Formats: sequence, C-alpha cells, structure tokens
Amino acid sequence: MLSRSWSIALKIYAAAFFTFLYMPILVLVALSFNDSPAMGFPFLGFSTKWYARILAGGELADALTNSVMLAIASAFIATTLALLTSLGLRHQFWMKGLVFPAILIPVIMPSIVSGILLLVFIGFAGLPYGLWSAVLPAHVTSVLPFAFLTLHPHIARFNPALEEAAMDLGAKPLKVFTRVLFPIIRPALVATLLFSFTISFDEFIRTLFVISGQRTVPIYLWVLIIERVAPFLPAIGVVLLAVSMVIAGTGFVLSQRTLRPSNT
Amino acid sequence: MASQDTPVLRSHALPPRGTGIGAGHAGRGLLLVLPSMLWLFVFAILPIGFLICLSFWTTTIFGIQQIWSITSYKTIAADPIYVTVFLKTLRIAVVATLISLIFSYPLALFLAGLKGRARSGFLLLMFLPFWSSFVVRSFMWLPILGRNGLVNQVLMALGIIDQPIEWLLFNEGAVYVGLVYVYTLFMVLPIFLSLDRIDRSVIEAARDLGGRPLQVFWRVIWPLSLPGVWSGCIMVFLISMGAYVTPQLLGGASGIMIGNVIAAQFLNTNNWPLGAALSLALIVLVGLVLAAVGHRLGLKQLFLGERG
Repeated sequence: MLSRSWSIALKIYAAAFFTFLYMPILVLVALSFNDSPAMGFPFLGFSTKWYARILAGGELADALTNSVMLAIASAFIATTLALLTSLGLRHQFWMKGLVFPAILIPVIMPSIVSGILLLVFIGFAGLPYGLWSAVLPAHVTSVLPFAFLTLHPHIARFNPALEEAAMDLGAKPLKVFTRVLFPIIRPALVATLLFSFTISFDEFIRTLFVISGQRTVPIYLWVLIIERVAPFLPAIGVVLLAVSMVIAGTGFVLSQRTLRPSNT
Repeated sequence: MASQDTPVLRSHALPPRGTGIGAGHAGRGLLLVLPSMLWLFVFAILPIGFLICLSFWTTTIFGIQQIWSITSYKTIAADPIYVTVFLKTLRIAVVATLISLIFSYPLALFLAGLKGRARSGFLLLMFLPFWSSFVVRSFMWLPILGRNGLVNQVLMALGIIDQPIEWLLFNEGAVYVGLVYVYTLFMVLPIFLSLDRIDRSVIEAARDLGGRPLQVFWRVIWPLSLPGVWSGCIMVFLISMGAYVTPQLLGGASGIMIGNVIAAQFLNTNNWPLGAALSLALIVLVGLVLAAVGHRLGLKQLFLGERG
C-alpha cells in the first residue's frame, strides 16, 4: 500500500505499539509469580504461592463456577437469538429497517446506564437480584449485539442457491436448515458461542449493579481491588486473562476459517 | 444450479424462489426476529420508561417515595458540580478519542499492508488482549504507574529520580492512559477495515501520476479511510462517555467522570431519582452526538463498516 521507507517506519511503529499493548500483561504475569509480601516491584524471586493461595481459598472456585455457568447459559441464549435474527433478516418484512438499530441499543447505551437500567427494571418487576433472575438477563442483553455482529456476516453471505436446490428437491424448511445451512455455518456458530462466552465471562458493569451476595470472577476481583490492593491480585487477573484469551482465540481461528470464500 | 436442469420438477407446486429458507413468507422473517426484538424491548427499551418515572420521584428519609416532582432536575441545575463533571467527561472522552486515533491509525495502516498468514497472526495479536476483562486491563496499570510501580522502579534504577513520583496515578492523565489502552481496538479495527477496502489500483494510479508518498496519503488514502475513522471515533467516544471502571481505579478524586457520579447515587448515597435523572441526561447527551454523526454516516456503516 505504501512505499518502502514508509513501510519500514510502520514496522518500527507496530513493534512499539505491540510492546505498549503487551507490556502491562507481561508485568501482571511477572507480578503474579513475585515472591513479595506487597503487590508491586521489586521482583523478589519466583514463587507460585499466590496461585496456591487463591486456589486454596475456595472463593475463586465459587466465583469461577458462577461465571462459567452464566457464560455457558448466556452464550447459548444469545447465539440462538442472534441466529434467529440473522435468518429472519434474509426475508423482507414490515419494519425490517428497525431490527438493526434495535440490536445495537445495548452497545450504544453508555455501559454505566445499561447497568442502571437493569437494576431499575429488576426492582420494578419485583424480581430477586439473583444470579439467574437478574445477572443472566443482564449478560444476555450485553452479549446479544456482539453475537449478532459476529454471526450475521456469515449468514448474510451464505449462498441461497444451496438452499433453493434442496427445496427444489423437495426438502422442508426445517430439513433444509439442519441438513444444508447448519453444517456449513457450524464453525461460525461455534465461534459465536465462544465469543459470547468470553463477553459474558468478562461482563462487569451490568453485573455490578444487579448482583447481590453471589460473585462472578470480575466482581470478585473488583471487590478485592476496592477493599485493598493484595499481593495475590495479579494471580487472579492472570487466571481471568488466560480463560478469556484461550476461549476467544479459538473462536477467532474458527471464524477466520468460515469467512474464507471456499465455503460459500 | 440443479433446478435449471429439472424443468419438470419446477412446474410443480414448489416453494417460491427467493433468498433461502421460506423466502416469500413475509411473516416468517418477522417471526424469526421476534424473540430478540422482544428480549431487547423488555430488557433494554422498557427500562428506559422506568428510569424516566424514577427520575421524577422523590427520596426522603423513608426511601424512595412515588411523589412526582422535579427535585432531581432542580438539584442538577442548581449545583454547578454536575455540569462541571458532564463537561469534564465530554473533554476526557474527546481527548481520549483523539489520542486513540493518533496511536491507532499507523497501526491500522501497518495491518492493512499485511497479507496471508502474517495478517491473521497480527490480527490475532491485536485482538487477544481485548478479549479479556477491562477490569483486569485497567487494574494492570496500578502496578505500573503506582508508587512501587514499574515506571518508578526503572527511573530510580537509572538514577533519573531519587524519590518515587507520586503523580503518575490517580489523576486525569492516568485515566487517559487507561481509556486509550482499554479501547484502542475499537479504533484500530474500523480504520483497518476501511483501509483494507481501498482499491490498490487507485493508489497505484496516484503514484503513477507522480504523487509523492505524502501526497498520495493525504489526497487518496486518508479521505478513503474516513468512514473507518469516524466509526472508530464514535465507538471510543461512546464507550469513554460511559466509563466507570477506569476512572474509578486510576482517576482518583481529580479524574472522576460522570459514570462514577451516577454509580455513586445508586451504590453509595442511595439517591436513585437523582441517579436516574443524571443517567437520562447522559443518554440525551450521547444520543445528540450520535444523531449528529450517525445521521451523516448511517448506523450500518458505523458498526458493520458497510457503505451507505
């Protein structure tokens, strides 16, 4: 795209940029192994005692269980809703133009306000501020736009001729979906599930307002940070980072695979 | 297409041709989008109505009373602190957006210039940190900028300073570092997508016609990447306007933003009506900005990078 001297300058810039991006993560990982009674530097030697400490407490395990269950449930609900919406958008219907802006409402709404909207709603509806009655709806609402934005391009570019061929051969709509569309978009669906999982797993601001008593991992970390800066905080941060990065990284690889033209 | 070879089959009562499953049934499309639309109506649109009601109620020592009044709005108008925090939030969001743009544009250029495996690899490298919790990504700066942090340790080891610098954290500057760090991807990605869509032959033509690199950039590449620039700026601005975690962790007393003031009404002082009124003010403010820009560009382009 650009001349040679420019491209060398850009490469140097990119090296600096990625250093800036990853340096804090490396610092966090280093500190999680720091054998020091206080969080921070200097580095006093390698130790895994902070990991042993957070695993021994049982609190992290409880928070992890809550987070994972919520993430699985919201990923499935949001992906199903996103799939139905993407399929629906291939038809013409009344007020179709409103679907896209509506889906984006949770993204456009300032995140702090969306947390408060849910808090107020749960209060008005008289629901308990529990994990499944309040936090799950909050997570699905926050995940839905991203699930849709991930899945929609894959469905929109799916070649309808394949389905028409199946229908011409006499297949019923449901059969066309399970035998033709589904096998082809399956990697995209898995990718959407994985992305949705991480968005829910990392969801914080809405959860903060509607959760009470129980904890998800980001809430657990937050409460600890606010109470006091403890030396084992980096270890919790690293656990959180690792879970999200591995799951979303897998989703990324899968989604790249289906967007290649050979699949349509 | 198989159907073209089978005219006999086609003459029978078959589903009408269209765009896939059940095309032609206008009701089916509506039916398919209905679940998500209902969900959003219940959990995202309906609550706005509740929020409006709440903002007109009153708090007394007995809690929230359903007595209609405009007390909350009077409080906001009477105390200049709220207007000040709103203006400060606007300023922080605009500055964070601009810093983010300056840092992200060259990287987007770099990514757009890559091909094949290198491109996938660097894109993954770019995405990876952003898939993790922004609580962690904001928190990470504490052990870097803090009193015993990396920056102070390095500067002291190099003999540049004798005492740790105290002002690295808990001020507006630290909030900029946090916001730019946490949200850069939302700037890089749309710019990369719009750069990627530029037809290479246009750039080659400009070069063949004698355009020097800087000329080619300003007269051809930059204007063609503007949709992505706008899209990225809107995203970072929007998210920064609603920021809570980053200013709460890194901003201290001087780096406070409207999100922190709103949250305090619900979590600490229990003045829900005032918090509701402030939330609505924030929605209106963000809505006005979005309407001004979105009107010119269109939502689809802002969020999917599609043209027109």
